[in-house]
Parts: sequence; structure tokens; C-alpha cells
Amino acid sequence: MATKAESILSEIKMSRRTFAKVAALSAAAALGGYAASTKFTDKLFIDAAAAPSPAVTRTKSICSFCSIGCGYIGVAEDGVFTKMEPWEDHPINLGGMCSKGASLANITNSERRLKYPMEKVGGSWRRITWDEALTKVANKLNSIRNTYGPDSVFFCGLVHGSIEEAYMFRKLSMLFGTNNIDHQARLCHSTTVAGLMNTFGHGAMTNTPIAMQHAKCHFFFGSNAAEAHPTFMQKVLEAKDRGAKIVVADPRFTRTASKADLFLRFRPGSDIALILGLINVILENGWQDQEYIDNRTYGFKYVKEAVKGYTPEVVERITWVPAAQIREAARMISENRPSNIIWSMGVTQHSVATQLVRVCAILQCILGNQGKWGGGCIPLRGHSNVQGVTDMCVLSHILPGYYSVKSEGSWKWYAQCFSDTPSTSGKITFDELKARFATHNGESMMTKVGFTVSRWYEGVIKPEAEIDQPHNIKAAIFWGMGATSMTEMIKMKEAMEKLDLLVVIDPFPSVAAALPDRSDGIIVLPAATRQEGSGSMVTTGREMQRRDPIISPMYESKTDMWILQQLATKLGFGTHFDYKSIDDVLREINLAVRLIGYQGQTPERLKRQKENAHTFDPWDGRAKGGPCDGEYWGLPWPCWTTDHPGTPILYNDGAPVMEGGHDFRAKWKYPADEPNAGEKIVRGNLPPAGTGGTRHWTYDYAKDPTGEVNRAALAEGNPPTGRGRAMLRVYGWTDEVPKHREPLESPEPDLVAKYPTYEDKKLYRIMTEFKTEQDRSIAEGRHIKYPIILSSGRHVEHHGSGAQTRNSEYLVEIQPEMYVEINPKLAGDIGVKHWDMVWVESARGRCKVRAKVTERVNEKTAFMPYNWGGIFQGVDYGDRYPDGTKDLARGDSVNIIASPGYDEQTQMQETKVALCKIYKA
Amino acid sequence: MVTYKFLVDWERCIRCGGCEVACKQQNDVPIGIRRIRVVTINEGKPGEKNVPMPCMHCASPPCLAACPTKAIYQRDDGIVLVDKDKCIGCGYCSWACPFGAPQFLRGVFGLKGKMDKCTYCVLPFEGGAERAPKPKCAGFCSTKALLAGDAEYINAIYRTRKAGRA
Repeated sequence: MATKAESILSEIKMSRRTFAKVAALSAAAALGGYAASTKFTDKLFIDAAAAPSPAVTRTKSICSFCSIGCGYIGVAEDGVFTKMEPWEDHPINLGGMCSKGASLANITNSERRLKYPMEKVGGSWRRITWDEALTKVANKLNSIRNTYGPDSVFFCGLVHGSIEEAYMFRKLSMLFGTNNIDHQARLCHSTTVAGLMNTFGHGAMTNTPIAMQHAKCHFFFGSNAAEAHPTFMQKVLEAKDRGAKIVVADPRFTRTASKADLFLRFRPGSDIALILGLINVILENGWQDQEYIDNRTYGFKYVKEAVKGYTPEVVERITWVPAAQIREAARMISENRPSNIIWSMGVTQHSVATQLVRVCAILQCILGNQGKWGGGCIPLRGHSNVQGVTDMCVLSHILPGYYSVKSEGSWKWYAQCFSDTPSTSGKITFDELKARFATHNGESMMTKVGFTVSRWYEGVIKPEAEIDQPHNIKAAIFWGMGATSMTEMIKMKEAMEKLDLLVVIDPFPSVAAALPDRSDGIIVLPAATRQEGSGSMVTTGREMQRRDPIISPMYESKTDMWILQQLATKLGFGTHFDYKSIDDVLREINLAVRLIGYQGQTPERLKRQKENAHTFDPWDGRAKGGPCDGEYWGLPWPCWTTDHPGTPILYNDGAPVMEGGHDFRAKWKYPADEPNAGEKIVRGNLPPAGTGGTRHWTYDYAKDPTGEVNRAALAEGNPPTGRGRAMLRVYGWTDEVPKHREPLESPEPDLVAKYPTYEDKKLYRIMTEFKTEQDRSIAEGRHIKYPIILSSGRHVEHHGSGAQTRNSEYLVEIQPEMYVEINPKLAGDIGVKHWDMVWVESARGRCKVRAKVTERVNEKTAFMPYNWGGIFQGVDYGDRYPDGTKDLARGDSVNIIASPGYDEQTQMQETKVALCKIYKA
Repeated sequence: MVTYKFLVDWERCIRCGGCEVACKQQNDVPIGIRRIRVVTINEGKPGEKNVPMPCMHCASPPCLAACPTKAIYQRDDGIVLVDKDKCIGCGYCSWACPFGAPQFLRGVFGLKGKMDKCTYCVLPFEGGAERAPKPKCAGFCSTKALLAGDAEYINAIYRTRKAGRA
């Protein structure tokens, strides 16, 4: 039986032979080659040795997949990336890498990469020059800008770029005159940022992965780290070997769950109720850290009130978790402190996700874990530099460093930075910058939030009267964005077909280039991989690490920085992009991004750390002796000055600020209904600082180009953000304290009646349906027609949309096909055997995939990995890719059928709960 | 006297596949040959365990005893290798091995082809510029479940872990 997997394998064998012939690997192949079935004789070795020995370089670099930031050593022979070696003294991973990381050389050398710029003309792909391509793109963007206004262009992606390139990308959109720019963080952790920022002050993971070794209990809640963040498990299992407990709550018995002391299987979409149930048990038993709550938080009484209705028995009805297990979990995380809560997309991708993040944060405060080594909130980010790109705010509502677009002050600050930076020659005033933007209904679009990547397509297909901008979107730039990670793919496909111009910039052409049915108007540009460019990246633990190129860009591919510089020049504002090197960009970031403390991570310090990695202690990530003595690895932000060691643990008031100490932010929206609210949200006024002169709560440091305010604050022993309290209650929000709300597609109509979702709401230039969609689901009887709950997640072998990993022979050999996991009972009921083809259908569309029969899921739930594309509703789109770039392994995309729900704060998509039915294909 | 060994700490393995890909990358192993493979038992159920299975370079290798042409040999440092000039592809080693380590490419007319196996990453450098063998699978192991090196050294690491778990 010639299965698809087998045919893929034979394709791989063929491609390997061709590759060995064409690539300049002859010397390397003779040395390291398998040499078919002959012995590696001494003769072969001597022959190779007699040949001129290749010029070998060894370059320390950082993996470009998940966000843990694993180091490796790339070996290049005669300019070809041939081998990898473990970087054994890298303090985060100690040399360890997962299958994705270990395949980096294989992926870089893939012959399926996009080799030169191409344009689709008259239905076929045509090779063009870089100059032709960029001129065409720039002319079209400028003509759209002149005819319809700058908001008719949508920029998205670049999560794979360095922070320098991300900063340049946001700067490009600012100078182009639009906030219609967004990236993958919208789809992965925008709700984490919103939830944590409004509770603590910063929207990032509060520890480093290294600190996980200090925990006494790990609570995985919506994270399958064993597959999504494998090296993170090194730290978790190290703690386990020292006696720590592991609790896993997940709808699915994941590989992470197989390491757990306690596993809770709950219903997708009932997450908030589960945590409220845990808090209920903790308060019932008096297990909370009352001293911590009194000293460091505001709003405990509201939480106490809110959890009253969530007894273990009530929560059992909502979550399907036995009450006894809820009590046991609460006991385990309380008795083993510091405990933490680790989450990923399982928490963030819900229509209630911001509140879900908040409830996790509240749990940590109740237990007094927040701000301790090993305790706290551990949102694991998805891409290697997504934390950095989030900090650079390639997002439609903020400017680099989380300066809000809604305030003119942010724009004044950036006009000043763009002009004052010594890194570029360009000058621009605030008024000139404002004039770059359109006006709509008498107001400048400068201070209006833009479309999000989760719903940008609405800007193309909705009538102009229904969107808050002058005209529809006419052009989209997909920069390193595979297009299978957004839901509503059918609508997105329609939008991609309606655009005047679609530009795809990627090392692999990805699904974005193959998805739309259009014969013209797509330009694909070959970007270099992360192995071919330099720059800095920020791990999930806020540690900044430096990448250096292992080889120069292959084929005609160019680094993102080069493309950005060329594009800016052709668009007419090149003087703001005439950086001499990538270090110049980082220096501009050091100057401008002050709100979160990006002052200490200079190019020089990062390079010095890299050369002295062996001096860092893997136990706490701190250098002992040597040139970096006292610094924490990666100078985790906030790093306030060039002699600050970095802040490994956010909100840790137990250490001096100059030793990495910190505290909750003091600047909050004033709860107007609260008597003496000021005293309740800050921990006593700060003494006068260098600037203000009067007593105040926080230092006015965010727009101080000299850094004097930072130094004055540190001299007084305070973080510039002040010393505030964690906000258990957020004044003015729809839910000031989180409460359970059913997902938009719920299998339980009576729970919907009791716990309905939000009212419909206009968000990010477009109406977002909550109640309407939930009511529609009930009215249509989806809970009867589609009886299975569908959730999605990651493979360990594939990453994101899979554009890179699905082109690695080694990874495809291990994980060759898309599937849906179903329980043996469900399989029996629908007459399906293991690995049969099935249709998975929802109210949106359907996917044709293999059935993987397994007890990982229960009989009411199904699971699909989201890393697949290239097949659309059962139809193979392989022939649409530019010649020679067809993805090696293709599969149907789960996001065709995922839920149409979005988060109420950030427009995060709700991928984790949809209703579906499954039947034999 | 150094004795090189692998030690599998199955409490730590998460089946990330790093070892499998690192091996392929280092040794240019063709598709279809798995010199190391992670095997999962009780998948999706309580008691799920992952076990990386390379050649364990046994102290007394059953494959070596079973080999009729003496193609399999053991170095003084314990590493077991196969001389492909002597191998006749009979597959006896595969029957003898408790770990499924010997690998065969499917050839024409149903022949098995010559046996291929884990070399502890010493080939093709054997006899050349010598260095301490460092198998890439263990070097890249994401959770340090697969330990490689001198038997004394890796035993000490494992003993420390066991002491913490007790």
C-alpha cells in the first residue's frame, strides 16, 4: 500500500540526491557523508583529508523556533552551513535542542527555499530582479497611499525578525502614515500582555526559564511545554528531580501531562471557572498568603466576593472536573510554594482570554508567589523573538516600548527620537509626522488603533461604511507570516483575492503565496533565514541574546534589514533608515524604548556576554567573576542603565533594584469609587526625584532622553516604575474581577443561559460579535449538529505555520501528515479505524485529514495540530507554489474550521473551542 | 580505562526528537534508517513513557556474538562498530539485539542490505585525528535524558538525580 507518507519519503530520497549534486557540499559530503552502503574505510578518510581542507568557521547563535532561546554552534565549511554542535555552556539550554532546533542546518540548506524574487503574471510565476520587485511594490504602495490613503495598506508579520528589524518595521509604518500594522503576537499572547500589564504593570513572563529550577510546584495550565517548548522542560524536570511537584490541567492528556503528579482533564472553554474554583478552595481553607495580599495587592475583597459562587461542586458542573480533584490540585499548589502557573495558547486563545490571564495572575498573588524565584506567571511565548517584537510593538495599538498610539505624546516622543538619534540622518517634526496620516470624520488616524492580524481581512471585504477608516485595505504585506495561524481562513482567502497587491516576504513562499485564487498581483521576495542574518532577540524570559550569521544569505535572498532599508528608500523616507549597521539600530532602541527599561542592553554588553557564556551559573543565570561579573544572562528587561544587571524576576521586592529587584507598577487608573484609593494602589509615595521636585508615585522616566531620571530613581533604591500594588480588581472594565463566561460555541446551552458572553462591541475598527454569535450557535442547534469540541495545538516537530519545518526531510520523516486525534470510543461509533481519512466539519467549513485514534483526548473532544497548510478543504494546492518551492509535506489547516470568536480586549482569536463533527471520508 | 556508554533516564525523556534529528544531521543518515529512535509506551495513557533507543554499546554485545562473519567488533573503549566490508546483510544481529539498534535499507529483490547502526559519532574519524567521542544525540538532548560519556561520569549524574527523586 503506497501511503502518502511513503510517497513523501521517496520524494525526499530523490531530493537528497539532487541536492548532493547541486549544492557546493562536495568536501563536506565526502567527510561526513553516509556513502551509501560501503564502509567508511580509512582510504575514504585519507582521500578526503588529502583534499584541500575546507575553511571551517564556528559561530555561536540562537535557535529561531520557540521562545526559550537555545544556543547552538553553527559550523560552516567553505561558506556552507554543514553541521551543528551543542553549545554546552549556554546557561539556558546547556546544549540541548529539540528536533526543530537540531534541523536548522537542514532547513537552511533546503532546495525548496525561495531563491529569487518572483511575480505571478497571467497565472504563472515569473522571475524578476530585486530592483524591479521593490520598485513595483513601492510604486504600488505609494499610488494606493495617494488614491485611498495610507490606511489602505496592511503590514503584518516579521515575528522572525530581530528586534532591530521589528523596530524598523514599526518605524516604516509610522512614516508611511498608518497604524494598520500587526504581527503574530496578536494571535499568541496579546491577551497575556493585556492581562498581566493591567494587573502587575508589565505584560511579560515574570521569571526566566532558568528560575524554574527553583520552583516547588509547576502548574501547567493550557501549556504543552513538552512539545511546544521542549528545553523548558529541562528546567522543570530538573526541579522535579529536586522534589518539585507537577500539576497539569488540560483538556488533553499531553506529553507534559505524562510527567505530572496530578492531571485534571477539563472541558475546553471552562478555564476561568476552574481557576476560580481553586481560589475558592484556597480561601475556604485559609491557605492564602494574607500578609502578601495586604501589603502588595489591591482589590482582594472583590476577589473574595467573586469566587463565592464557584464552589468545587459548581465548578465540577462547568468544567467536568471532579470536585475532589479540584480540592487536591488546590492543596498541591498551596502546600508546595513557591508554585507557578505556566501557560501558552491554551489560556490566551479564548474570547475571555484577557480575563483568563488575569485570573491566573490573581491566583499567583493569592498564594504570594508573584515576584519569587520559581513562582509567578509563566506565559511561554511562541517564536524565538516574539517577546522582542512585541516589545518593539509591531502592533496596531502601540508604538515601540508600549507607548500608546492614542496619545499624541507618544508620537511627539518618537518624532524627537527619529530626529535626535545619531544612527540616522533623517529629521522629522511632530507636525510633519502627523501630516503623513489621513484624517477620517475630522479626526487624525494617527491616534486611532489599526486593524489586527486576526481580522485584517474584514478591512478588505466589509463595505466601507462598516469600517472605521476612509477606504478598504487594498494591499497587504505578509512578512514571514505563513497565513495558516489565523482563523476564518475562508474569509481571509477571499480577502487575499480581492486585494490589488499581495506581497509575501519569506525564506519559503509559505501558504500565503499559494492560498489565494488569483493569477496576478502577488510578489514573493526571498528573505534570508535567521541563520544568515544578525541581530538581537528576546526570549520568553525577557533575556536579550545576540545572533550572528553562520553563513551569508544563500541564493538571492536578502536580510530583512536590507529589504526594509531598500523599501524605505523607494517609498521616499530612506534618510530615516540609513543605519550603517544593525548595532546602530539597537542604539536607537536603547535611546527610545524607555518605558520597559531597554537602556542597558547595548550591543557591546550583549557581545561580551556571548563571549563569556561559560562564566554564567546555570542555576541562577548570573555571572560569577569574569568581565560580566554580577550580570544576569541576557540582561532581562527592565535593564535600567548600562551598569544594571537586568531583572530576572519581575516584581521581586526582596532584592535591591541594582541587584535585579523590582516592584509592581504604581501608575494605575484611579478607582474613583474607592475611598482613599491612592493609598490602596501604591505602597507609599516616593521621595522627590531629580526632576519633578514634588512627592509623586512614579518617576517621569519614559520620555527622558538623558537617562538622568532612571539614575536618580536607582540612587533612591526604587525602580523608575515606582512601588505600587498588583491590581486584583481593574477599575472600569466590563469584568473588574474575572468571571466565567461560556465560549461562543458551547456544547452546553443551559450554561450559556447562566454564564453568557459579552455584548457585541466595536474593536480595532470593526464590529465584533459576541452575544450575536453565541445566540446564533444555540439557535442553529450547533451543539446538536456538531457534538464534538475541537481544540488545536502544536507538534514538537513543526513550528508555526510550518513553512520552514514542513520542508525539512528529517522532520517530515518523523511527522509526515496532518491528523485529528479522536478517542477510540468515538472512532468506534463513527466506524473509523486508525489512520483512515476523515472529514472534520464545523459551521465554517471542513478539513480532510487522517484519524489518529488515541486516548489522549476523551470521547467528547478532538484535537488537531495547527502547523499545516497547502491543502485547503481537501484540495491540494501544491501546484500553486512558485516552481520548486512546493512544501515537502502539506496538510489541511485546522484554522479553516476554528471558532469565529475573538477576545474582548485584544481581538485574540478563539482557536481552542469550536464545535465540529467527524465522519469517514 | 575509559568505557563509553549511553544511559537513558526515561523519567526525563519527552520525545522531542532532538536526538533523532541531530544524529541524521551529523551523520547524513538517509531517510528510512533510524540509528536512534524514541519509542513511546502507553501513549496517551497514565504510565506513558518515552525511551530513546540508540545502540547501547553493550558490555557483552549479543549482536557481536551472533554475527557469523565477525563484521561486528568492539573497541577497547566499549564502542561497538560494524565493518561493512565483512557484513553480508544476514540480519542475525537484528534478531540478537534487544533494542532494535541494527538498521537495514530495503534493497532490490528483498535483500536487507548491509547493516548500519549508531557509531557513537566516532566514524568516520576513527583512526584519524582522535578526540573524545561526543555523540550528538546526547549533546543535543533537550532535557538531558540521554546521557553519554565515560560510564563512571554518567553514573554519577544519574545517581544524583535518583537521590533527589527518592
